[in-house]
Amino acid sequence: MSTLLRTLVRLFPRPFRARFGQEVVEHALLDWERDMKRGPIAAVRCLASTVLDLGESALAERLRPTCPSVPAPKKGQTMSFDLNGWAGALRHALRTLRRSPGFTATVVGTLGLAIGTITAVFAVLDHVLLSPLPYPHPERLVFITGIAPGSDMKGEFGPAGEFFLQYQDGGKLVEDVAIYGTFTNSLRVGERVERIPMGVASRSLYPTLGATPALGRLPLPADEDRAVVISDTLWRSWFGSDPSVVGRSYDMAGKSRTIVGVMRPEFRFPNSRTLLWVVGDVRAEGLTPGRFGYNMLGRLAEGASLPAAEAELTALARRLPERFGGSPGYARLIEQHRAVVRPLLDQMLGPAARSLWILFAAAAIVLVIACVNVANLFMVRAEGRQRDLAVRRAIGASRGQLLRLQMAEALVAALFAGALAVAFAGAGLPLIVSAAPAGVPRLDEVALGSRTLLFALVAAVISGVACGGAAALRGSAPDLARLREGGRGSTGRRRLVRDGLVALQTAMALVLVIGAGLLMRSFVALKSVDPGYDTRDVFTFQFAPEQPALVDGPSWARFHLDFVERLNRLPGVTSVGIVENVPLDEGTDDDRFRTDEMPEGPDVGPNLNITYAAGDYFPTMSIAVLDGRVFETADHLSQHGNVVVSRSAANLLWPGQKAIGRRLQQRGSKDWHTVIGVVKDVVQYNYRDTPQALVYYPMVGPTPKAWALSSPAYVIKTARAETIAPDVRALIREVAPEAPMYRSYTMEALAARSMIQLSFALLTLGIVSALALFLGAVGLYGVLSCAVAERTREIGVRMALGATAATVRRMVVAQGARVVAIGVAIGLLAALAATRPLAAHLFGVTPVDAPTFAAMAALMLAIGAVAAYVPARRASRVDPCQSLRND
Amino acid sequence: MSLLEYHLLLALASGPLHGYAIAERVAAESGGALEPRAGSLYRVIARLVGLGFVAESEAEQEVAHPGLARRYYSLTARGRRTLADDTQRLKRTAAVAEKRLGLAARGRS
Repeated sequence: MSTLLRTLVRLFPRPFRARFGQEVVEHALLDWERDMKRGPIAAVRCLASTVLDLGESALAERLRPTCPSVPAPKKGQTMSFDLNGWAGALRHALRTLRRSPGFTATVVGTLGLAIGTITAVFAVLDHVLLSPLPYPHPERLVFITGIAPGSDMKGEFGPAGEFFLQYQDGGKLVEDVAIYGTFTNSLRVGERVERIPMGVASRSLYPTLGATPALGRLPLPADEDRAVVISDTLWRSWFGSDPSVVGRSYDMAGKSRTIVGVMRPEFRFPNSRTLLWVVGDVRAEGLTPGRFGYNMLGRLAEGASLPAAEAELTALARRLPERFGGSPGYARLIEQHRAVVRPLLDQMLGPAARSLWILFAAAAIVLVIACVNVANLFMVRAEGRQRDLAVRRAIGASRGQLLRLQMAEALVAALFAGALAVAFAGAGLPLIVSAAPAGVPRLDEVALGSRTLLFALVAAVISGVACGGAAALRGSAPDLARLREGGRGSTGRRRLVRDGLVALQTAMALVLVIGAGLLMRSFVALKSVDPGYDTRDVFTFQFAPEQPALVDGPSWARFHLDFVERLNRLPGVTSVGIVENVPLDEGTDDDRFRTDEMPEGPDVGPNLNITYAAGDYFPTMSIAVLDGRVFETADHLSQHGNVVVSRSAANLLWPGQKAIGRRLQQRGSKDWHTVIGVVKDVVQYNYRDTPQALVYYPMVGPTPKAWALSSPAYVIKTARAETIAPDVRALIREVAPEAPMYRSYTMEALAARSMIQLSFALLTLGIVSALALFLGAVGLYGVLSCAVAERTREIGVRMALGATAATVRRMVVAQGARVVAIGVAIGLLAALAATRPLAAHLFGVTPVDAPTFAAMAALMLAIGAVAAYVPARRASRVDPCQSLRND
Repeated sequence: MSLLEYHLLLALASGPLHGYAIAERVAAESGGALEPRAGSLYRVIARLVGLGFVAESEAEQEVAHPGLARRYYSLTARGRRTLADDTQRLKRTAAVAEKRLGLAARGRS
């Protein structure tokens, strides 16, 4: 802030600065500190008014110095003709702008809107993407996965535990590695029990990141898994910032653990929701190789490149089978395995980064469109002033002086627009933040910082130069012959420039609108995907009872089925079901399954997803039963060996045959299960995914003796889905007072959440392209209006000679249509290339979807026609007598 | 004389103040109508100094905001006279205005 103020104070002339500069800065800082305490709105107001005030005062001080050490302008010297300095030019600009408030408002408003948009996007971009991670040498932090082309592991997958040990022992280019994950579990402090987001990480996480605790220490090997470090947020909210909490033990994630340290506020790994970190290390003893799927983080040695690190890690992994053994399938996989290393920041941002850059590009296009509009306005204005400028030139003004005079106007207007833009951005930022998908790191901390203000200033100055430049270059070389002619006439070249600009505008607006159109179609396509279930009127929640009687599969099943009965008796409830992993909220486990026909072996049979279902799960979710039957209560309470499979699981196991009555076996299990029903496939996590091949076990579990279904998800079909939560919570308190209700949503809300990346992209790009469309239409309207005004005489003559109003209208609309058509043609070509980055967001359409391109081009032409029609009507109302008499 | 200039002189009438205190007092005494930001405030101060209404002075007591440059401003004799003149003028103007708007009559009854 003080840097910004010092920069702004430089705007004042030297004498004033020397005398008051320090005082002004300190004064403004005090204002800032006072208003910061009053909240964000007061702070933004203070910032905007201070910046405006300093700019305005500095300008005024330069024009009318108050500081006595500067000689006052000599008497008799009229400032308006003092063209020798920028001061005079600026003063002149202020006056002329004040004289034409309509023009000024249009220019400042247009530029302000566009600069405000890009400033708000920049604020987010700067904070989320450009600010490095809060660790030492963040550029050396990497995320490590692997691929195995040619094996049955598809795409990228997280490494297994033995990789961690191997990398940690053998890595030279990779100094240190850590594995981590997140989960939700209970924290109990006194009477308070809640399910909170937790992290689990190897002890190497902290040295790898370079993070140190604010209080206490980090976990040591001797702690084993009993040590926990907690976040600053948790420390403040649960423990009232009590330092003596270090060393105390609480029930965390199912056992008593000891808080050994409190992390610093900026430590938010892997995200800001994580409230504490338990230790999860990998031990070499008793390790089964091939359990892939860990998140792995590494720190590169100084100067190590990503490809070199990948090569080293790949070589290290090759020696895994000789150290840890494993099945022949595992050995084959390792031969094909290649490590993939990428910057951690890229991994954490993921698709959000792309969305933000696309948005930034779109905002830049809007700014260019706005600049074109404003440049056109200035050019039209310069045209009107040809006579004035010619006179000035004739009485001795140099070309440079005239240039300065015109540039000053654009610059002053742009600076006002910049100030307006800061206000817009301040108002718009909270909207962006609230609409953004969860998981964009550090988005909640976005604010208008000094870098953003500097960006707005630079954007304003560049826009000012760009807008004023064209007109100023033209205007500074006025044709002296104009003086004699009386300053009339329209030259073809001038119109060509203006028409060209409008065509350019149209093209750019079209690119944005096509982008928005593609997202819109994706959204519609995604909305109409049949997920295999119906999210309407369904409420879901979980709770995790901890009771001594709950020891094995049957006891868990009885407990939950009793609770289903209680829920069924709630008023307004149609049906109630239980599932281990509710779609759209949680992923499922997976494992290999074999049929009677297949041999035994670790790599045999298709990989299927696994979940558990009970109660009226299938009817509640409206999942169709295609064949056979679903579970009965008896299936849940003792082991009958029945399972239900989804259609694609049946197809994978018994292609083209009936599945009912056939048997399947999970890898490593002795028990066979018989298929009693086939149900429709469901989309588990994201509507973009293909439906999963799913095996449903009954509640009793695959091995009833050891089985614990500690926290399944309940689904309730009820018209009261939005309001039933308190009733459910009261029921839970009756049966399990120790267990908080959590993960409670309506299925509708989960469905909306699963689409929020796309909704956000659509919403923001939609707004930005609507803005572009609007500005483009205004530009076309302005240029045609001006052309009509210039051609009043010609039109008058035509009408005097018998042209009808309709002919004249057609002529003007045709002129506009020609320009728009050229713009549309260019825009279509540009969009072919420009929509490619959107591909990751699209669903069900290609980036070069012909119907979208055609529809948006038609929309553009229609808007062009409307924008042209208004001036055309005006042209057709020209009174021939009036227009000729004007001469 | 502008309203801000008037209030600034008025703020200084009770004794020397530093810039931030002037701003606070102006805001309070104008009932929040004037909230001069740093740039405008010091320009007005500079002008009043230039006109000889205000002078820099030594502080009488060491108080107020920490860290702020210890530069105090006080009213000159000329400034005090101008403030008095202007106050008289405002009073007369106010009387005329009250009469014309019927405010005074209502006030008496």
